[in-house]
Amino acid sequence: MSQMLLEAHNLSVRYPQGEVALYDVNFAVRAPTFMAIIGPNGSGKSTLLKTAIGLLRPTTGTIKTLGYDAARESAAIRRLVRYVPQRDRIELSVPIKVKDIALMGRLLKKRPPRIASRKDKRLAREALERVNMAEFWDHPFNELSGGQRQRVLVARALASDGPLLILDEPLAGTDTESQRLIVEALREYHTENDVSIIMVTHDLNPIHTMVHDVLLLKKTVIGLGEPCEVMDHELLTRVYGPSAKVVEYGGHRYCMTQDSGVDRHD
Amino acid sequence: MIEEIIQFLTTPLVMRAMIGALLIAIVASASGSFLVFRGLSFMTSGVAHAALGGAALGLFLQYTGIAPWFDPILGALLFSVFVAAVTGYAGESGIAQKMEVAVGVSFALSMSIAVFLMYYIPPTQVPQIWGYLIGDILLLDNLDVILLAGTAVFLLLLSLMFHKEFVYVSVDMEGSIAHGLNARAYHYLMLLSSSLAIALATKAVGAILVYAIMVAPAAASNEVMRSVRGVMLAVFVIALFSEFAGLAASFAVHASPSAIAGIIAAMSYVIAMQIKKIRERVNGLAHLDELRGTEASPEITVLDVAEQSRHND
Repeated sequence: MSQMLLEAHNLSVRYPQGEVALYDVNFAVRAPTFMAIIGPNGSGKSTLLKTAIGLLRPTTGTIKTLGYDAARESAAIRRLVRYVPQRDRIELSVPIKVKDIALMGRLLKKRPPRIASRKDKRLAREALERVNMAEFWDHPFNELSGGQRQRVLVARALASDGPLLILDEPLAGTDTESQRLIVEALREYHTENDVSIIMVTHDLNPIHTMVHDVLLLKKTVIGLGEPCEVMDHELLTRVYGPSAKVVEYGGHRYCMTQDSGVDRHD
Repeated sequence: MIEEIIQFLTTPLVMRAMIGALLIAIVASASGSFLVFRGLSFMTSGVAHAALGGAALGLFLQYTGIAPWFDPILGALLFSVFVAAVTGYAGESGIAQKMEVAVGVSFALSMSIAVFLMYYIPPTQVPQIWGYLIGDILLLDNLDVILLAGTAVFLLLLSLMFHKEFVYVSVDMEGSIAHGLNARAYHYLMLLSSSLAIALATKAVGAILVYAIMVAPAAASNEVMRSVRGVMLAVFVIALFSEFAGLAASFAVHASPSAIAGIIAAMSYVIAMQIKKIRERVNGLAHLDELRGTEASPEITVLDVAEQSRHND
């Protein structure tokens, strides 16, 4: 029996300042899946993620993650989730090492004193290898470039346990090499393991071939479906404005928006 | 000569001062390091001054007979807890700037309360309030040493047990919560324990020494050390060295040991900044050589240099 990954009913969320971030959000997605949430800046993508794991409270309505109500049963959800926040939420004033970040996802699921076992270290190292960062094991995290830091954060999620990986803009502002490594690592990990991945991105292009469900968001649900269904001119203009174009070329559909450059879909 | 020195060092006054210095160095290492990680070095002075307001409240309650049992130190601890609570509340989202503002506001409030209450305390008692800020490491009594020792041991145990959690909360509050950590509890635990320690340390050795030793060595170590453990160890070493040098100097020439220790501790930060600058320049040059050596295509060279310089900023 397949389980529901996300289930939103009449969900609305306000930012702490009072502005409406999301309204009338209704959708359901089955697990396991590789899901992308796309939309322009300020469309409520990150807000939806944070609400789904109980970091923010709904103003009205409900959202369930893996069957648990996010507002009331967030503790249960957090046992199942591995979360990668936006990179700029990571404080760089602490001289923490790459290995400490990679181990963090595992150790956070343990009880104090959270000693890293041999298995923890092995899994952390393997995860770093997947994103080509294993040689930086003993390196201070705050001395890495932006793309390298992002790769370590993705490794933190890969090393941890739980059937749901949530990544908030893991490709934003990273170099092409890091993008390629992150996308490849996620694709491999998703095919090898029975996990669901939810990824917020403003650019579907790098992940379009691996994504099963795309949620198109602009403060409310504009579209939900497979990538080809969402690559629709009418839907995209509603989100990205009249400049959005869908172009067919060589059997592929390309979406061009001013927000994110080119979104390609095979 | 050597016998004289040993005899001098074993007098109770000097012994207490040296033990006090050691304990303050432990407090700085176990608490100051985490405050600097958290971007909260300003909290030290905020708490110390808030404690002044608390001490004034204590004296006021004693003098007016409202609560004769209310020791000024109780007021000091109460107000330092207040600052930690306000700061903690402002920082629940994990944003350091908000906490700095909260420290500033609660600091101002406590000082205002102190000055307000001074009007209702007989002028002869007022110096006792200011005396709270200007304790002296050479004037420690046995009770001060015991209080300090208790504080140091408590903080040491706390940071041994929860240093991972304190670091996680500082590095990635949002991610820690999402992975199921009760981040709020550790956030408050760290702030409350630090502020109680600052208040007790201030009572014992005075505000100047506490500012200097809690903040400067941690800031200096954080500039040059490349691991959490390295920072904590370096804080301890710098703090202890500054304090012992201050004590030694105060015996040799007529000077306040706290002031000398403060100057040395502050100098350590200046030196650390220089070391960091030199290290960055060397790294930058090495990186440039590397790029030239590999004969990379011009576009890639330009991109990498841009990336490196952005990172160094």
